[in-house]
Formats: sequence, structure tokens, C-alpha cells
Amino acid sequence: MKTQLIQSYIQYTLEHNSQPQSVYLFAKHLGMTELDFYNYFSSLASLESEIYQVWFEECMQKCTQSEPWNTYSSREKVLAIFYTFIEDLKPNRSFVQYLKTRDWKPSLQWPAYLKGLHQVFLAHIQPILTTGIASNEIQERKFIDSKYAEGLWLNFLFVLKFWTDDTSPSFEKTDAAIEKSVNLAMDLLGKSPLDAALDFGKFLFQNK
Amino acid sequence: METLSEQNSIPSTKVQRAMRFVKTGAQIGGNYIKHYSKKIVDPSLSKDELHENNANDVYNALSELKGSALKVAQMLSMEKNILPKQYTNKFQMAQYSAPPLSGPLIVQTFVKTFGKTPQDLFDSFDMKAANAASIGQVHQASLNGQLLAVKIQYPGVAESIKSDLKIVKPIAFRLLDMNENELEKYIQEVETKLLEETDYELELNRSIEITQACKNIPNLVFTNYHKAFSSKRVLTMDWLSGFHLDKFLSTNPSQAIKNQIGQAMWDFYNTQVHELKAVHADPHPGNFIMQTDGQLGVIDFGCVKEIPEDFYLNYFALLIPEIVQDNSIIRKIMLQQEIITDNDSAEVQQVITDAFVKMTTLLRKPFDDAEFDFGNDAYINQIYAMAEEVSKIEELKKSKVGRGSQHALYINRTYFGLYSLLNLLNAQIHTGTQSWKSRLKDYHFISNN
Repeated sequence: MKTQLIQSYIQYTLEHNSQPQSVYLFAKHLGMTELDFYNYFSSLASLESEIYQVWFEECMQKCTQSEPWNTYSSREKVLAIFYTFIEDLKPNRSFVQYLKTRDWKPSLQWPAYLKGLHQVFLAHIQPILTTGIASNEIQERKFIDSKYAEGLWLNFLFVLKFWTDDTSPSFEKTDAAIEKSVNLAMDLLGKSPLDAALDFGKFLFQNK
Repeated sequence: METLSEQNSIPSTKVQRAMRFVKTGAQIGGNYIKHYSKKIVDPSLSKDELHENNANDVYNALSELKGSALKVAQMLSMEKNILPKQYTNKFQMAQYSAPPLSGPLIVQTFVKTFGKTPQDLFDSFDMKAANAASIGQVHQASLNGQLLAVKIQYPGVAESIKSDLKIVKPIAFRLLDMNENELEKYIQEVETKLLEETDYELELNRSIEITQACKNIPNLVFTNYHKAFSSKRVLTMDWLSGFHLDKFLSTNPSQAIKNQIGQAMWDFYNTQVHELKAVHADPHPGNFIMQTDGQLGVIDFGCVKEIPEDFYLNYFALLIPEIVQDNSIIRKIMLQQEIITDNDSAEVQQVITDAFVKMTTLLRKPFDDAEFDFGNDAYINQIYAMAEEVSKIEELKKSKVGRGSQHALYINRTYFGLYSLLNLLNAQIHTGTQSWKSRLKDYHFISNN
């Protein structure tokens, strides 16, 4: 039922070029009572913030069930999630663009409707990173490594925004953007010259 | 896989690539300053040292650069002899190389084009690339017991070629000392070809076409293409087993086998040029697969040059001694090929024509007799020496106009590649009964009277 409500919400928004103005109006449009609606969501805003969350859960399910998933390194798992999510977003591109033009202001951290997604994103990415640290693919760094997932979240927001603005045929540029940005991010998370530089800097500081 | 991992260090973003060019531009500027300040002290100083310095800097920058910018610079410099021969030689073997595709990107490409993952589509699919192709990579797969080669292209290659060319243009103008309009036709030609290479659907059709036309040539094998598993960015064909040139030579094949393979290669080009009028214009060692029993496999029809009829009639006429000896016909041909123009003075026309006739007399040697030994290093060195000599001719150096038709760019490259491959193979070739010669003679002598 939840997914049906979400689907109706998207449809309503696109057809009216505006989201429903109140729960009352939306429930009436669906031929249900306001009370029924509250069984599933507490407000229209909470419905909205769950949309991406549901999509991401679906994406994760698809990824983990795909054949090569277990053979993938952490880097490849992150890439696969990004590709799959964006690919499956395609049928709802208009809605994604609607939300973006409505809420995505340069000053804001990120729009409220992505708050739910943020939580599930971190919850799914963290274990992948932990495995990566265990296998030495990703460098363990005191104090910073707990923020790795947040870094990938920013990367994810960049890709999402890039895709909504992408006009290249079959969104080829987004593919390139994912490939390049995730590779860069994962290169940074791996052992890099930066570690040697920090280590050297610390040495100099202590032995002045 | 070694070659793939090496690519981590290629400057890959547009900004990085632009930076490289800026650096090179600055260095060349520096060389000019050095040159002119030296010249104040020593007025007899020639520009040769300057050219040498420029060439070194350009080469260093470009060899680090790779990408399509390299290919353009390479093609243009070959044409104008701007780089010393040793460098062009190295360039000849340089390939466009994109960074390797990650596993998930491969899956994504398949999902996008076929709606299925490669694992769903084939019985097996090796996620590790078997080979780097020019603008993508090749994977091995299998279906119903048949081994397949699946070539996958990096996304956005066409776009990056366009932006590379925008970067390379200004520096090419400066390097070649030509104005924009003159150079435009060559750049156009290279751009068209490079963009065509990114279209695997086009490549598929051309492969089928050429394969069909050349299927009766002995000892030549082609692969089977699978339309159902191909798209603009994916090309699937049967896996051809065998070796690339260097590996093949290390198996110590007999002279007879080498001759047999060389012959197949020669016949293949002869048929394409004179019958199909369209030619596989990328005779790079990576595009041929050699089998120890003397069969030659041809892959990668990404770069095919179609030869326009009037260009064909004039260009190949230069290989016929009787025609070259006829002053009025040679003049006509030189004009048609845009090697001389009506704006040149009579002396300049004469100097350039003489140099050209001398060059073609050397280059057509394999065509003069029924047999030719390409293993003869002295001949290849003679060609280099001649090119060096031509590049020193003042009339050509001073010329601000582009000499030669844009169609010649890829045809010259094709023959240059073919000669060097046959030389590496050390092959003796029956250059054969050349029926096309009489066709061309008829055309020129009859139309001339």
C-alpha cells in the first residue's frame, strides 16, 4: 500500500505540476479518508522523504542479488550501487527534476526530501567500507574514517545532480561522471601519498 | 593487463590535458625566444635547431598525453614531416587509449543497451579485460560453446574527442605555421574518422561488407559478427585465436609461413584499394591476428577510408612510370592532388614536382616488379632518408598552404603502416599482375588526348 501511495503521489504531482496541497485533498483524490492515509504516513512531507528511501532499498536488493556482487571489491560495489540507482531512477526522471527545481537551492545542505535517503545510504555503505578496511583496500585513518560514508554521500549527491542536468544521449556523461568520481573517491580512501605526507609532517612537528 | 594499469597515470581530465598543452605552448614559446636571442649573437644560425627543440618538447608532451589529441598531432606531423623521423616512427605505433572500464560500468552498459547483464546474456563472461582496444576494451565471453570477443566502449568518447580537438587546434596552427583555413580540411578529415571509430554500428556494417568482398583471398580469415549482441557501444564477434605480430615472430615461424601471411596482407589491401575503393586504414600490429599455420586474421574495422573516384584515379597513377614521365599529365595530377597550386610560381611548382616524383619513384618500387622483398631494411631506410630530405626543401618549409589532398592523409598512413608491417614480418611478396595499372593508363592517356 505504501508503494501505491507513493506512486499516486508522484502521478498527482506530475499531472498537476504541483504536489497535493493537503493530506485532505490528496486522500479525497484517491477516494480514501484522511484517517486511512495516516495509517501509512504522518504527513505529505514524510511521504516525500520516504520515496528515495524506498527506491534505494530496491536498488540495494537488486545489487546484492546480482551475480557478480560477491566477487566485487568495495570500489566496484559502490560503483554498482551508483549505476543501478541512477539507471532505475530513469522512469521517474520528470519527478526527480520537479523536486530538484522546487527544493534544490545552492545555500542548503541538501533538500529535506533526501533526509530519509541519507540515513539508508549511510546504513548500506558503511558495511561495504568496513569490509574494504578489513581487506586493506581502504586505508584506516583515525578520526577521519568514520566520515568516509559521508564523503561518498556528497559524491552521491553530486552524481544525482549531474544526472538531472545531463542532456547527453542515453545519459552517457552521467556514466562517465560516476566512473570518474567514484574512482577518485575510492583512490582517496585507499592508501595514498597523502598518508606518507601526513606521517612526514607529524614527524617534523614532533622533532622540531 | 599491464598496459591497462599503466593508464592510471595518464592525464585524463580535460583540465589536465589542457594544462599539458599550455605547458607545451609555453615551452615552444621559450624555444623561439632562445632561438632569436641566439640569432642576435650568431646570425648564421639556421632554424633547424629550433625545429629540433620544438619537436622534442612536442613529442614529450604528446607521449604523456595519449588520447585522440595524440592521434591528431601524430597524423598532422607525419604529413608535414614536422617531427624527426624517429619520432613519427614511434607515433605510428601509438594508440588511442582510454582508461579501463570498471566491472559495474560494463554491467551498466549492457543493461542500458540490451536490458540484461552480460551474465544473463552469455553462458560465461570474463569481467577481466583480455585486451585494450583503441577506445574501449575486449572481454572474452562464451555462448553455446562458441568463444566470443566482446568489445566495449568507454562512455562519452565521442564527446572527449571533440573537446580534445578543440584543444589541439591552436597549437597545431602554431606548430605547422599554417593558417586556420588551410589546416581545417585536415583536421576535419581526422575528426570525421575518429568519430566514425566511436560508432560500433557503423563498424559492424563495414566489417560485414569488407569481409564479404575479401572472403576469396587465400589464407585470410575473418570473424563472425553478432548483430544481436552489438550496438553503438558494444561489438560482439567470434573469438579469433592466434598471436599479434611480436608474439607470432617469437614462435619462430618459417620463411614460407611469413611470406604466406605477408602475401595475404598484401592481397587484402590490394583488393580493398583497387576493387572496393574503401580501405582498412589502420594497419597497426594490434589489428592483425597471425596463426602459426600461416593464416592471417583481420579485426577492428573502426577506421575505414573510402577512396573518392577522382582521388583514386590520380593518386594511384603516380605509381605508373609511363604516367610520371609525361610532363603534362604529372602536372595535372599534382594540381588535382593539391600538391601544387596555381598560386605557386613556376619554379616552386617545378621544385615541388621534382621532389615528389623522386619520392614516388622510391615508394612505388614494390609495384615495379612482380615480386618484392620487404624484409630489405635498406629500402625502408631509404624511404626515411628520402622523407628527411623532402622535409628540408625550403620551398615546402616556407609554404603556408597545406600541400596534398586531405584524402591522402589516411591513404599515406595505410601504406606506411603496410610497408612497416611487411618489413617487420620480413616477407617476400608477389606484388602480382596489376590489372588496375592498365585501367589507370587508359584513363590518363585517353582523356589526355
